Amino acid sequence: MPYLGSEDTVRELRRALSNPNIQSDQLRYRNTILKVIRAMSQGVDVSGLFSEMVKACATVDIVQKKLVYVFLCSYASLNPELSLLVINTLRKDCQDPNPMVRSLALRNMTNLRLPSLVEYVEQPLTAGLRDRAACVRRVAVLGFAKLHNLQTNSEIDAAVVNELYSLLRDPDPVVMVNCLRALEEILKEEGGVAINKPITHHLLNRLKECDVWGQCEVLRILQRYRPQSEDELFDILSLLDASLVSPHPPVMAATLSLFLSLCSGLPAVSLAALERVRGPLLAACGSMSREMRFTALCHIQLLLRSVPGLMGVHYKRFFCGYAEPAYIKQRKMQVLVELVNDENVAMLLDELRGYCTDVNTDTAQSAISAIGHIGRSYSDRCLEILTGLLGLKQEHITSAVVQTMRDLVWVCPQCSDTVCLALEGCEESLQDSQGRQALLWLLGVYGERVSCAPYTLEVFIDGVRSETSLGVKMELLTATMRLFLCRPAETQDMLGRLLHYCIEEETDMCVRDQALLYYRLLHCGIEETRKVLHGRRSDPSLGVLIGRPAEPISQWACSFNTLEPLRQGTIETESASRGSPEHVTFDPKPNTDLSDTLNYSHIEKVHSGSDSTTQRTDSSADILASNITVPLSLSLSPALSPEEFEHLWLQQQALHAEQDPEKMKEEEDYTYMEERIHCPAIPHCSPQNLQAAMQLVNIQTLAFTPPHTLPWRVYLYTHTQRTSSADMTHSTLILGELLYTGEANQKVRVKKGTGDREVVVEGREDVQIKEQEEATGDGLSGRELSGKDGEEEGVKVTLKQQPRDDKALKGFLSILTTVLHTLSSDRA
Amino acid sequence: MAEIDHFMPLLMQHEEEGLICPVMSHGSVHFMWIKHSNLYLVATTNKNSNASLVYSFLYKLVEVFTEYFKELEEESIQDNFVVVYELLDELMDFGFPQTTDSKILQEYITQEGAKLEVAKTKVPTTVTNAVSWRSEGIKYKKNEVFIDVIESINVLVRWNVNANGSVMSSDIVGSIKLKTMLSGMPELRLGLNDRVLFALTGRDKGKTVVMEDVKFHQCVRLSRFESDRTISFIPPDGESELMSYRINTHVKPLIWIESVIEKFSHSRVEIMVKAKGQFKKQSVANNVEVRVPVPSDADSPKFKTSTGNAKYVPEKNLVVWTIKSFPGGKEFLMRAHFGLPSVENDEMEGKPPITVKFEIPYFTVSGIQVRYMKIIEKSGYQALPWVRYITQSGDYQLRTNV
Repeated sequence: MPYLGSEDTVRELRRALSNPNIQSDQLRYRNTILKVIRAMSQGVDVSGLFSEMVKACATVDIVQKKLVYVFLCSYASLNPELSLLVINTLRKDCQDPNPMVRSLALRNMTNLRLPSLVEYVEQPLTAGLRDRAACVRRVAVLGFAKLHNLQTNSEIDAAVVNELYSLLRDPDPVVMVNCLRALEEILKEEGGVAINKPITHHLLNRLKECDVWGQCEVLRILQRYRPQSEDELFDILSLLDASLVSPHPPVMAATLSLFLSLCSGLPAVSLAALERVRGPLLAACGSMSREMRFTALCHIQLLLRSVPGLMGVHYKRFFCGYAEPAYIKQRKMQVLVELVNDENVAMLLDELRGYCTDVNTDTAQSAISAIGHIGRSYSDRCLEILTGLLGLKQEHITSAVVQTMRDLVWVCPQCSDTVCLALEGCEESLQDSQGRQALLWLLGVYGERVSCAPYTLEVFIDGVRSETSLGVKMELLTATMRLFLCRPAETQDMLGRLLHYCIEEETDMCVRDQALLYYRLLHCGIEETRKVLHGRRSDPSLGVLIGRPAEPISQWACSFNTLEPLRQGTIETESASRGSPEHVTFDPKPNTDLSDTLNYSHIEKVHSGSDSTTQRTDSSADILASNITVPLSLSLSPALSPEEFEHLWLQQQALHAEQDPEKMKEEEDYTYMEERIHCPAIPHCSPQNLQAAMQLVNIQTLAFTPPHTLPWRVYLYTHTQRTSSADMTHSTLILGELLYTGEANQKVRVKKGTGDREVVVEGREDVQIKEQEEATGDGLSGRELSGKDGEEEGVKVTLKQQPRDDKALKGFLSILTTVLHTLSSDRA
Repeated sequence: MAEIDHFMPLLMQHEEEGLICPVMSHGSVHFMWIKHSNLYLVATTNKNSNASLVYSFLYKLVEVFTEYFKELEEESIQDNFVVVYELLDELMDFGFPQTTDSKILQEYITQEGAKLEVAKTKVPTTVTNAVSWRSEGIKYKKNEVFIDVIESINVLVRWNVNANGSVMSSDIVGSIKLKTMLSGMPELRLGLNDRVLFALTGRDKGKTVVMEDVKFHQCVRLSRFESDRTISFIPPDGESELMSYRINTHVKPLIWIESVIEKFSHSRVEIMVKAKGQFKKQSVANNVEVRVPVPSDADSPKFKTSTGNAKYVPEKNLVVWTIKSFPGGKEFLMRAHFGLPSVENDEMEGKPPITVKFEIPYFTVSGIQVRYMKIIEKSGYQALPWVRYITQSGDYQLRTNV
């Protein structure tokens, strides 16, 4: 920002700086330089004084030196030629008996950031590495990192790297840590500083000498080390145990991060470590600093993804203080939702209700949607609160409540009666488009049960001319169409008016096209229309799993103790403002590329562990398993939302239905397979057990019917990854349904595609089918499945894969079969 | 345009949208910031940096600056910009924290020009010294140590439907501060009535306390504390915080508040507040302040108190009831009456809690005690330890039931 009269200032300062009287007076000279720096700090361009300042550099006064250096480092890039003059003084200072002067000179020499000066800097830097004062060595070590940063393309000087490695043994801990930092920077291309056993043990032994910053650096770099034996691993862990409960949150977090990376193969140890840090983490949540509190909360959210019960009893620690900023309150509420259980639900909801009337509207809305989330498991209590909130007639509260109810009803259709009752009259206090869209959607879907629905819609239709929101108009069209289907008499007239307006007068193409589509649809007849508009409803027989499924720790371990967890939540809340549940698009989380795949060796373990049980049931699974010759791995990421799953599932169902049912369906990018697995006890298994078992092999279950109900079904998905040739990896998405009808004489159509040959078997009672055991004999392609009377325990497995990859599909099926058999025999 | 120039516009924009967050991004640069009085301290990074480390460092900066300038604010930065440049230079090099201990920094950076000639010849002792937080050759005529044990209580009380107050959460945050005026390199040992220590030594008499989340000054030998709970150290010179702890017990709120706030729309608000001292009769709470929230559009206040003064602070929408000295076991009453305008303010107002401030000297809630302080120096001088206890209010909130 150029100040008025800055030229005068500069001229005056120049005159003063070159005045011999001032130059000879130590104090006056320094004060003049002080004025220059002050002007510089205030934004005046004083770069013109460069040559005068260079002269002022040669002084015995340290403060003056420091001031001049501040100036030179700021403007050196503008005057590379003149900067050469400074080098001489700086090099002379490097010989000064006072270590402070030496370190100052060395630091500023490297801070000038001029590639042309590098050749003059290298020699004093190398000398600095061997200086007897630690503070000089500290500066010299980092100096090499700066030089490398200045000319990243230059070749790495092996001698310097060796020297730095040997300085890891420097008696001064800061020099040691700076060496790590410098090597990390210089060897960036090669993956950073190389960590071997002696270095690791040396660093660990000296950890206690370092300050907080140094400890964090060392702990971070040690993550790269892989202990050679289990004994060594446990030695390291016990050495680190004290830091794990360090009162300094950064050290504690860095240690935990190291623990998780060292114990990636030992889930039990990782879990124990998480238990151990609970105390310090909770303490960090109560830290005086808001930012530290925020960081701790974000990291607790990560932990809860794997160990949902970790903080259960401490839920009161996450209650919000009145004066806390909104970003902390929102995080706390997100945590609270995760912690809800039968004991604390009353207390928790009571507390959340208090936040719903927060002055900050964002906080209030988050609180309402938090209650909605809890409503998925405790619907009655939550609906009571939500309905009560409508009575306040506050615009932003009503809007949030209606949106929450819409989302709740989609997952818990049994709530619809209460919601329908609550909707009456709330359109008056709805202003924003999000809230009105939610209301319209609800009126469309449940119009027959809301008595005033047509009148409410009429008000909207009468005002459509002045409506500005595109979303509201689209939703209004759909809602009116739906209402027309169930209450034609009351709606026909206004639907006509709406369609007329949208087709004739509306300027937005999307709205007009939608209206035209509906208009033409109506021409096709009422049944056709009904089919299209009532196509998608959530299945009331499916209960949503309570809480999120526990993820493996490795899913988030690499982003622990970084910036990422702090940024994730904001993305989630952004995607939270969306349209109707049908239109939900799932934004993959930003860290999905940190994909976690379970390697084949793990699956092998599962197999060997369950050998005895599979033998007994003797299914086709063993054959299948032995037939896999290619390494196959399953992974859960990118995660699939229930909505997305349903979308894909139904889409492919539709595709399938279009085909002639007698013909095997085979498309290039998609394959479909049905299979029967003999596992009598599975439908009586508790959802938790099944889910846990599936997760062990990275299969995600999405929805369940409760045990012992008929028909019993489970939906699940996974991603497969198979290395076929050298570098080629095939990855596919598999969606699956397990269905158990319990009826013996059902009609079972078994289809399977194995490469070129398609075998289609209509399984009926009268068809003689070989027992499964026999079928396994002739391998894959000839296998047939039984649909006989006696085989009622068979669970029908329907799998859909995209893109098609038969081998992966078979591999997956064998894993699934093994899991089911294991579980089934556990129950028996 | 430097990256930092994007910070303020970005912050303004977030503020407007009500989406304030301690991390903000502009392009590939992330800003991590904290606010201290009217200053923003901002760290920039373009990597996936360690967030808790960055915030700790920013707070460390505040701590160091405050030690230099007493008060850290815009003016002190402007007045001391030379020192700020010097400090930043020492605190951080190439984005890596270097020397952050303020005691050591004080030797590198000499504020006064006059001291400069000395500094030129004298090498800071701590540059090579093993005890980085204490210089050698310190001399006092009279050797003394002052120990302050300060406990703050955090309480959150809530009323349920039946108007029964219940303590939602409570904890004690304690801190032991030292003011050391000792010559040479003294060895100190502090004895507390620590339950773990008593259990270790098999002693079982008197009251003991269980401390959690204990943090020590770097001078305390952690290995000794971990092995036998001995707190032994060479103290830094002058004032320092030796340790802090947290005690997570159910504390009875020392000052209990019952309030009835009746709001008659368009006419008046009537407030009745009863304060009760729930601590020993011998103790006295000083400078008690009960802060009761009132609607922002209230006017014409009238007060009646059984003791102390009540004052209306309209800019904060509070009634502050001050009681200079509040003996234990006593109960006091305050009534307040406000008028409300007939045209009501339709802006939604939050429900701020009643907050209480107080301090009670010669008393700790947890019962923590300094049993001894041993001072050993090789010159063999006698030194006196002085101990002071004080309990004060921390985050002390009682939610109202209006």
